[in-house]
Amino acid sequence: MSDLGRVLRIDARRTAPFLAVPVLALLGAVAAWRALLPGVAYWDDAVAALFASVRVLGPASAALGAWVALREHRLGYLRGLSVRSPALGPLLDLMLLGVVALTAYVVVATFVVVKTLLHVQAGHPQVIGLLAGALTLLVYTVIGYLSGRAVPRLPTVAAAAAVTCLWGIARPGTWTYLLPPPGVEHIHPFAGLRTELLVAQALWSLGLGTLLVTCYLWSVTRRTRLAVPIVAAAAVVTITTLWIHAQQRVPLAPRAFEYTCRQWPLTVCVHPALRTALPSLEAALTPLATRLSGTPGSFTRVEHRPDSDFPRPMRGVVYIHLRDLSPGYEHRAEQEIQISLLDARTCGNPAHAAGVRYTALVSAWLLDETPPRLTDVAAARAFARWAEIRRRHWLRTHYVRYHSCTLRGQDFRVV
Amino acid sequence: MIADFSTIVARDMGIRRGGRWILRPTTFGITSGVIGLAGPPCSGRSALLETLATLRRPSVGTLELLGHDVTGPAGQRAVCARLGLLPDRFGWAAGVTAREYVSYAAYFKATPKHAVDAILQRFELSDAAELEMDMLPADLRLRAGLAATCVHRPDLVFLDEPLASIAEPDRDELIGLIRELAPAVVVTATDAAQLTGWCDRVFSIVRARLIESLEVPRSWSRVPAGV
Repeated sequence: MSDLGRVLRIDARRTAPFLAVPVLALLGAVAAWRALLPGVAYWDDAVAALFASVRVLGPASAALGAWVALREHRLGYLRGLSVRSPALGPLLDLMLLGVVALTAYVVVATFVVVKTLLHVQAGHPQVIGLLAGALTLLVYTVIGYLSGRAVPRLPTVAAAAAVTCLWGIARPGTWTYLLPPPGVEHIHPFAGLRTELLVAQALWSLGLGTLLVTCYLWSVTRRTRLAVPIVAAAAVVTITTLWIHAQQRVPLAPRAFEYTCRQWPLTVCVHPALRTALPSLEAALTPLATRLSGTPGSFTRVEHRPDSDFPRPMRGVVYIHLRDLSPGYEHRAEQEIQISLLDARTCGNPAHAAGVRYTALVSAWLLDETPPRLTDVAAARAFARWAEIRRRHWLRTHYVRYHSCTLRGQDFRVV
Repeated sequence: MIADFSTIVARDMGIRRGGRWILRPTTFGITSGVIGLAGPPCSGRSALLETLATLRRPSVGTLELLGHDVTGPAGQRAVCARLGLLPDRFGWAAGVTAREYVSYAAYFKATPKHAVDAILQRFELSDAAELEMDMLPADLRLRAGLAATCVHRPDLVFLDEPLASIAEPDRDELIGLIRELAPAVVVTATDAAQLTGWCDRVFSIVRARLIESLEVPRSWSRVPAGV
């Protein structure tokens, strides 16, 4: 083994890689798992999950950096009075810390990528997003290490973790949420991260990390030739900050896609990121479609739309807005369709309060829910007694009143 | 008095920390031999030692070591290869053996590998070289520290309270070793009495002033330093 190899092996013990990497990777994986949309396999959301993991990994990595710097301080008498460059020791430390942090990050990224690949993925892998996350993590590490070098005291470790954690969760201005790691919790289907913004964020992190390291190296070596990288890094940080400021909190852009559909017995079309939901949506919505057949509210096509998109209803088409596939999503889709059957204007009228209760009774049947308690017990008992076929016939004749929440007790006493 | 061939020359050098003088501006020169520096804990003794070893900068005045002005980076670079420092309660990386510890120091001193074996032998550490530093008794640990400090054969060595944790029977042997470390060795202790008898000159820090004790029994100093 070379002399440098021996030194690196001794220095590596201070970074405790066999403990630090698993702990960091576990923290990052938990954060990424919590950030991933349940049931959704979408590459842009995978990048958002990586940023979420960096928001947790970063402070932990900064604390580790400060801790290593603190322990390095005890060896300053060996490394400080050196014929080698005084920058050598800190650079070796930063390299080892970087390896530890990036190894943990690679583990988390592998976990996120495998999870996205195992489910049916949608969108395109954003390699620049992966890079931006890695560079941001390195900046956290540099900040932690340099703060430990500047103030080699035990509270510095906690302070480095606290300050960097605060940066991840609270920013001074709205646009600063676009600075790495961006405050994007989830990327929902239909939207995507803007590649140019990810590039700017990667450059910002690269510039800031380079600026911090070169400024520190200048402080210990006083080499004038470091002025060039310092000025260049400062320019990169300034330009990217101004550019990000100009974006005014618009991290997402509409993303082109093609629906994934299931054609029989209903046509159900969803964003490809949610294609695993097709069989259960089909199974859940078919009874509703059957019950509504023959009424003006009947439908043969279900379309998944973006959250903010409520197109004009077309005959035979209903729209659902699903953000993720967390438990109960089929029922939420049913409820959304059922609510769309009602006239919000008349149903919101207090004069129709009694009609709203009768409508709720019918809605409970449509959604296979427990019927509500009605003061008109006779109507409730009558409706409960009817067979499925009779209820469908009844709905065809009373749909207009159901739609406008103007059902009456005598509507349930017809033969 | 400052001789032309002084190893350490301080002119109006003062050290301030936290708004107070640790060492008021003072002028002194040290040529060679073993120099004692006494002062109670928190008297600024370690700060003065670190300043002399170029790890800190003096607040005022100038400092020359081995003929170089070390208040600037160029002078520091010129002399750092010729200096050695062993702090009070010196540290080492956890789990390292004595040989790894000295090799680690040797790498940063850009010293060839055979120098490690040579100094381990010279400090009678060959048998303990593969033992972990944590396992060594205090005197062997100090020998390892001295070996790491002097693996590059420095001209000027600073030792901060090296004998503080050494039992009496081992002290005389280690004092002999310390006197042979380099042409000029600066040693500190909490009390001037611990330094008299074997140091060639003894200074004390009293109320941020450096005062030389004029009466130093010269039993040990008959042995020439830096042999």
